Amino acid sequence: MIQRSLSDKVMQVLIHFILLAFGLTCVYPFILTFMASISSEKSILDYGYQLIPKEFSLLAYELVFKDEFIYSGYTVSIFVTVAGTAMSLLICGMAGYAMSIKRVKYRNAVAIYFYLTMVFGAGLLPWYLVCTQFLHLQNTVLALILPGLVSPFNVFLMRNYFASIPSELIESAEIDGCGVMRTFVQIIIPLSLPIMATITLFIGLAYWNDWASALWFIDNPDLYPLQYMLFRIESLMSFVKQYGSMGDMTMPTETFQVATLFVTIGPIIFLYPFIQRYFVKGIMIGAVKG
Amino acid sequence: MQGIVNKEKMVIQGMVDKKKRGFLFEMKRNYPYYLMMLPAIIILFVFAYLPMPGIIIAFQDFNFVDKFKSPFVGLDNFKFYFTSSYAFRTTFNTIFINLNYLFWTTLVSLLFAILLNEIRLKFAKKLYQNLMFLPFFLSAVVVGKFVTELVFSDHNGVANQIVKLFGHEPIVWSQTAGPWAWIIIGAHVWQAAGYSSIVYLATITGIDDHLFEAASLDGANRWQQIRLILLPLLTPMIIIMCLLSIGGMLRGDFGTIYSIIGDNGLLFKHTDVIDTYVFRAIKGAADFGTTAAVGLYQSVVGFILVYGSNALVKKYDKDSALF
Repeated sequence: MIQRSLSDKVMQVLIHFILLAFGLTCVYPFILTFMASISSEKSILDYGYQLIPKEFSLLAYELVFKDEFIYSGYTVSIFVTVAGTAMSLLICGMAGYAMSIKRVKYRNAVAIYFYLTMVFGAGLLPWYLVCTQFLHLQNTVLALILPGLVSPFNVFLMRNYFASIPSELIESAEIDGCGVMRTFVQIIIPLSLPIMATITLFIGLAYWNDWASALWFIDNPDLYPLQYMLFRIESLMSFVKQYGSMGDMTMPTETFQVATLFVTIGPIIFLYPFIQRYFVKGIMIGAVKG
Repeated sequence: MQGIVNKEKMVIQGMVDKKKRGFLFEMKRNYPYYLMMLPAIIILFVFAYLPMPGIIIAFQDFNFVDKFKSPFVGLDNFKFYFTSSYAFRTTFNTIFINLNYLFWTTLVSLLFAILLNEIRLKFAKKLYQNLMFLPFFLSAVVVGKFVTELVFSDHNGVANQIVKLFGHEPIVWSQTAGPWAWIIIGAHVWQAAGYSSIVYLATITGIDDHLFEAASLDGANRWQQIRLILLPLLTPMIIIMCLLSIGGMLRGDFGTIYSIIGDNGLLFKHTDVIDTYVFRAIKGAADFGTTAAVGLYQSVVGFILVYGSNALVKKYDKDSALF
């Protein structure tokens, strides 16, 4: 048994203290949000956001769940995340697979075509004009899906992985009369499940957290995804105020905001334990390049 | 005999074919693969290549009647931007915030990786890692709400509670420009530290334990081992990570900055970056010529930075290069 010196023990305590302190600041906003959301409006106006509610109230949640925007926000976000992730995965996966096949003559030319978009762009204004004047994406769900659909980085990531699958496997499938697309779906994808799962989650998280697309293209509150609804919460609250069902009570604006915030981050907190290890793996795959 | 000659003829014919195998032959042979690439090619064409001709707006006095046939004005748009106070302010803020992002995130995540590696209790190590990684999953809007609502709101925020605790007057954050660049930097480091320490921790875990055992037999204490073995071995990784982010130096972190600052003009002085400036110009349908010029300036300098930093990475470690 190695003797541990006193200074070593002090060091260990100090290390634990630093890491725990930072770890707590990472969960602190979550807890504070929740605690503030179940406080009464008056106690927040009097004392500010408190870790232990001075006065308990669920009024904010009652209002949040009466508010239609939270439902439409969830609907839009879930649809965009599921549809966007599925399409992005299929389109990038197919491109990556075709580019991994050595006998495809122009695969390197296509790779350069993809890669150029990673290093040079025309700038935001021409992009915005193409989206609005040419594609007319304003106030359509497509505006939330299409611009982020193809990530050259993901295409290259998948191409590199597919290229490591022995080509004999693909050739023998071909000899047995298996079509290209069927080889991809029934042989290549099952062999690449770990990396596919990781990339799926990365794309999914990006779609779920995306709000800039809505900022650029969506004016219609019914099409607001959840994150953008949260961003616009203050102007949306004026809609809520107009309900008039509050009678003579003052509108609980502060608690309404934090309650909405908590409802927005709920799915992430719930899913975090299940998905975080895939992300750790993903960071290692993309290692530096992420 | 005739058979052999024929065979030879066929072989020769085949060689000629191989040479002549042009575009159409390749398409005929491998069309399923090209069809598989097609959707991605089309989408990239629309969103990345189709905007390219729009660059000419940067050299025009753009109006919506003539559109791309608007009168050319040469470099006037660039002149207008670079002689305005915006050019220096937005460029400076962009680089200032990005450099601080890079410096503090590297420093903090490196520190956490080294500290995590020192921890002997397995469950504690796992716990701290899981706690730290959590902010990575949040959208910029949620981080923005945490910052502006929970901590730095004028009335109820935690920051002002602390200020009051020390007996000072509460600060009207929404009208105090000074600290916001640092608040943004803090928010970013808070969100990225756990994520980025994973990369460094993995590198540390990959180091051969024998090196440390040998060092401790020679009487090196833990601090000496970190300084003389761990840090030198981590240096390549640190350099690569830094070089790679140099490429994005002129790309402002629009998401975090806009979700925190929004359209609060009082705070622009230290927080307005190129991307937020361009966003406001486009949404406000302001001078499109100048806006396109700013975008082009950002793209061209960004391209040089990406290209240059990647060339350096390539020189340093071929496998880590982006392309």
